[in-house]
Amino acid sequence: MTAAARVVDAAKVYGSGETEVRALDGVSVDFPAAGFTAIMGPSGSGKSTLMHCAAGLDTLTSGSARIGDVELSGLTDKQLTVLRRERIGFVFQSFNLVPTLTVRENITLPRDLSGRPADPEWIDALVDVVGLRDRLHHRPSELSGGQQQRVAVARALAGRPDVVFADEPTGNLDSRSGAEVLGLLGRAVHEMGRTAVMVTHDPVAAAHADEVLFLADGRLVDRMPEPTAERVLDRMKAFDGRAPGARRTPQEVGP
Amino acid sequence: MTGTRAAFRLSLSALRAHKRRFAGTFLAVLLGVSFLAGTMVMGDTLRANFDTLFVDANTGTDAVVRSADVIDAGQGGGVREPVRASLAGRLGKVPGVAAAVPSVQGAGQLIGSDGKPVGGQGPPTLAGNWITDARLNPYHLVEGSAPTSEHEAVINRGAAKKGGLKVGDTAVVRTPDPLRVRIVGIATFGGADGMGQVTFTALTLPTAQKYLTTGPDRASAIQVRAASGVSQREVADRIAPLLPKGSEVLTGQRATQENQDEVSGRFLGVFTTLLLVFAGIALLVATFSIHNTFAIVVAQRTRENALLRALGASRRQVVGSTLAEAVAVGLVSSLAGLLGGVGVALGLKALFPALGFGMPTGGMVITTAAMAVPLAVGVTVSVGSALVPAVRAGRTAPLAALRETAVDRSGASWKRAAAGAVLGAAGIALAVVGASGSPQVPVTATGAVLVVIAFVVLGPVASTAAVRVLGAPLPRLRGVTGALAGRNALRGPKRTAATATALMVGVAVVTLFTVFGASLKATMDRTVDRSFAGDVAITTPAFGAGGSGLSPRLAPAVGELPQVRESVGLGKGVAKVDGGGRELTVTDPRRLANVIDLGSVRGSLDGLGTGGVAVSRGEAGKHGWHLGSTARLVFADGQRQPFTVRAVYERGDLSGDYLITRRAWAPHRVQDRDTLVAVAFKDGVSLGAGRAAVEKTAAGYGHPDVQDRAEYAKSAARGVDLMLSTVYALLALAVLIALLGIANTATLAVHERTRELGLLRAVGQTRSQLRAMVRWESVLVAAFGTVGGLGLGAFLGWALVRAADSAGTSAFAIPVPRLGVVLLVGVVAGALAGLRPAGRAAKLDVLKAIGVE
Ligand SMILES: Nc1ncnc2c1ncn2[C@@H]1O[C@H](COP(=O)(O)OP(=O)(O)OP(=O)(O)O)[C@@H](O)[C@H]1O
Ligand SMILES: [Mg+2]
Repeated sequence: MTAAARVVDAAKVYGSGETEVRALDGVSVDFPAAGFTAIMGPSGSGKSTLMHCAAGLDTLTSGSARIGDVELSGLTDKQLTVLRRERIGFVFQSFNLVPTLTVRENITLPRDLSGRPADPEWIDALVDVVGLRDRLHHRPSELSGGQQQRVAVARALAGRPDVVFADEPTGNLDSRSGAEVLGLLGRAVHEMGRTAVMVTHDPVAAAHADEVLFLADGRLVDRMPEPTAERVLDRMKAFDGRAPGARRTPQEVGP
Repeated sequence: MTGTRAAFRLSLSALRAHKRRFAGTFLAVLLGVSFLAGTMVMGDTLRANFDTLFVDANTGTDAVVRSADVIDAGQGGGVREPVRASLAGRLGKVPGVAAAVPSVQGAGQLIGSDGKPVGGQGPPTLAGNWITDARLNPYHLVEGSAPTSEHEAVINRGAAKKGGLKVGDTAVVRTPDPLRVRIVGIATFGGADGMGQVTFTALTLPTAQKYLTTGPDRASAIQVRAASGVSQREVADRIAPLLPKGSEVLTGQRATQENQDEVSGRFLGVFTTLLLVFAGIALLVATFSIHNTFAIVVAQRTRENALLRALGASRRQVVGSTLAEAVAVGLVSSLAGLLGGVGVALGLKALFPALGFGMPTGGMVITTAAMAVPLAVGVTVSVGSALVPAVRAGRTAPLAALRETAVDRSGASWKRAAAGAVLGAAGIALAVVGASGSPQVPVTATGAVLVVIAFVVLGPVASTAAVRVLGAPLPRLRGVTGALAGRNALRGPKRTAATATALMVGVAVVTLFTVFGASLKATMDRTVDRSFAGDVAITTPAFGAGGSGLSPRLAPAVGELPQVRESVGLGKGVAKVDGGGRELTVTDPRRLANVIDLGSVRGSLDGLGTGGVAVSRGEAGKHGWHLGSTARLVFADGQRQPFTVRAVYERGDLSGDYLITRRAWAPHRVQDRDTLVAVAFKDGVSLGAGRAAVEKTAAGYGHPDVQDRAEYAKSAARGVDLMLSTVYALLALAVLIALLGIANTATLAVHERTRELGLLRAVGQTRSQLRAMVRWESVLVAAFGTVGGLGLGAFLGWALVRAADSAGTSAFAIPVPRLGVVLLVGVVAGALAGLRPAGRAAKLDVLKAIGVE
């Protein structure tokens, strides 16, 4: 299986000397194409950092990050921006939409920024998938939180990106709206052949993924293929017992 | 007490935390206060310098004898009749009088070694007699000797320097008859190069009398020096009984005082009032900007204030903390502005001579008032601007802490629209009424003020529509970046309007003056076009009190030329008519119609003689005169003379309102000179040939300008361009402050939209697209302000031109290319104003921006 995105020996260090924080400490991971990967771990374990670096929003201190076969470390700000626009979709926890643009304009924003017209049939199909046809000309402030996140997913998919990165996309939603958003991400992967990487704290959300990666203290400590909510929950509970010790038991790292 | 202190502590910490947000406010107050303080310091300094000048000029003079009557036709100083020079001899014998000498002064323009007139741009160019009593003469020889014959002269050192003249050189003085003199001496005035920038050519008494007055026994005044131990008052009292009727004596001190008052009242008064008006406009614009900043900052701080209120801060404390902030900003920036003001005054002092306005030199005078008033104004403007926002801050509901920070999106309230519409309609109605029918300036001015207020009130209502229209082409031009810029400008109609209003006021004043100036020029053009029937005009370009006029012998000399069909000289005289000073045109009325089109004439211009006058229709109407009526003219010599109205003519725009013959004027004239010679060529003579011939003859009379019709119209409107460039320079500051306001609003908006900007960058907006977006938003706001200002200014210009035009002879013109430049400058300046905020926005770190709460 080819990787849509990958990081190798990724390290990210904030500050220096006494205040040095190793947010990522030698992480290597492939995000397989047409796969749905969830990243979990305790707060502060480096999940967001990993995602930002893999998506070209942030740069690694050492190691390499690639989207397809493009190495991100050598790119200029302009090249990174274009790469994000053309090959990556984003869904953040909140504040995903530009308040002055309508739903439709928000969805086509990355394409519009590139100056090339969006594929109308594709946008049309997306709109139906996210179920917002009757809301296309509304402003984000007129939508519920769940609807806003659905628009964000549609926006992330509008440019047919290689990878969609989502950082706690359901963090602010109730379980029903959350399930809708997760369902959308799942369909994007399984029906449309996209690749999705999602950071989450919610075992139920993680269970929508094909595989769950567990981070602790900036290291990849475990991976779980074919997750279920119960097994993820159990695995998470294990962290709570000996979270800081995770680093000292590397033998636990799965295959 | 502790509550107040807590509020104060809060505002100080807020100031520290948001220094950047107040940078714009700080600059706006600083610039406004600098201008105001600079103007006041400049005014005081000039006044003090002029005062010293006159004290120096009259030092040693204990009493002055002169004609009592003065006639003021509104052009420069009043006109007085000469006194008998022989009176000096008699006064010299009065006990207590040490010396009494006649003093002759008139216009006399020196021609420099390069053939160009020396000075003449504002300060007088004088000629007079060299006063032999050293203590009565404010000038002192530093080189050479006093003049002893008709063809010798002493000039002041400043004139010598400017004209490149030295002892032994020959030069021409236009008196206006060109007088060729050898320079025999150079003099200083109170140790300086001259009396300010005044040029002075001193001749012998008989020469001065011959060229500058109408007879040998004439003098402008008699200067008296008292014997030691005799006071000025005493000597004046002793002289008084000996004076002929119509003469008066005043002490040296009074004479000095009079001179000082005259300069303060006339020239300095106008000058400083003008500067103060523009300082006021700058401060008004600053007020808009500052108010806007406070309004935005308060809106952005809603959550913080709500939290304070929820934690138990009283309404008073919240209001107090915002006001304290305003006081602190106002105080600091005003103090800085005072320093800036001194700098401005220094700059202006250096600038004016460079622009060709001569000003006396001397030290800076900084009075308490010149510091206290601007300081008070600066603080008041800051606090006043913050008042409404502060009260609004106090009203913040504690619950607002829990809501999303709300930007004030309101704007187009029904009440506002109605109030604005009513005000606007009333204003326009008044302005139009005042401008039409029989024009009334006060009515129009009231209307104009109402219209301006209506514009301000309607701003938020209009801004949405205006930005939509102006921004309509943006999406097509700049794609989604342009669309976003347009939407951003629409986000806070009140804010957009307030930001744009500051610029609108500045641009409106610029437009008003531009339209006014263009209309004046158009009027001149039309006047010359319609009324000037000659081929060339001979004039001496001068400005202010400078210049000397034309020799009365020039017109006949030109008339001798074979190419010339008609050559008529026009001179100026003054007289009182029904108590008011009037300018008379002294000419040959019979031949005037050959070179100047007077329109239809009733009666005859042929036989005016010494007892007849021709009057323009407008003036005749004012006084209720008909053909055969008697007009009573009172001359400067006190003589009252009835004139019969022998002709009433239609157009007085070029010829003036009263025509009398040279013979009628001769008994009353002081210095014989023409201001214009109008020349018509014979049929078949080409302009080039005729002009060359006239130029050759004119060269013998001190090289006056020979102009064709177009040049004549242009030179007549020359003052307009000077006025316009001065006004533009003065308004530049107000426009700069408005642009700072736009930059400030943009900065605050960038700050407020940090997360959104981060999001845009994350989903693929490049830095340059982001910069363009911020810039285009400022351009839109600036365009709104500029277009609004152009419209407002053009309307006000029209109303004022019409209202000021009592004779119905003014043309109205909209100078489209010039206003196009104003529009372009406004829009480009908007882009420049957006430059820094755009740069700061583009520098935002994407991740941090997304993470901002
Ligand atoms: N800009 C920064 N400067 C310094 N330290 C940082 C910065 N950003 C993150 N960190 C640190 O890096 C570590 C990893 O942060 P990261 O945001 O990746 O955690 P996370 O797993 O996403 O946590 P959460 O679940 O709370 O979102 C943390 O210890 C955090 O304090
Ligand atoms: Mg995180």
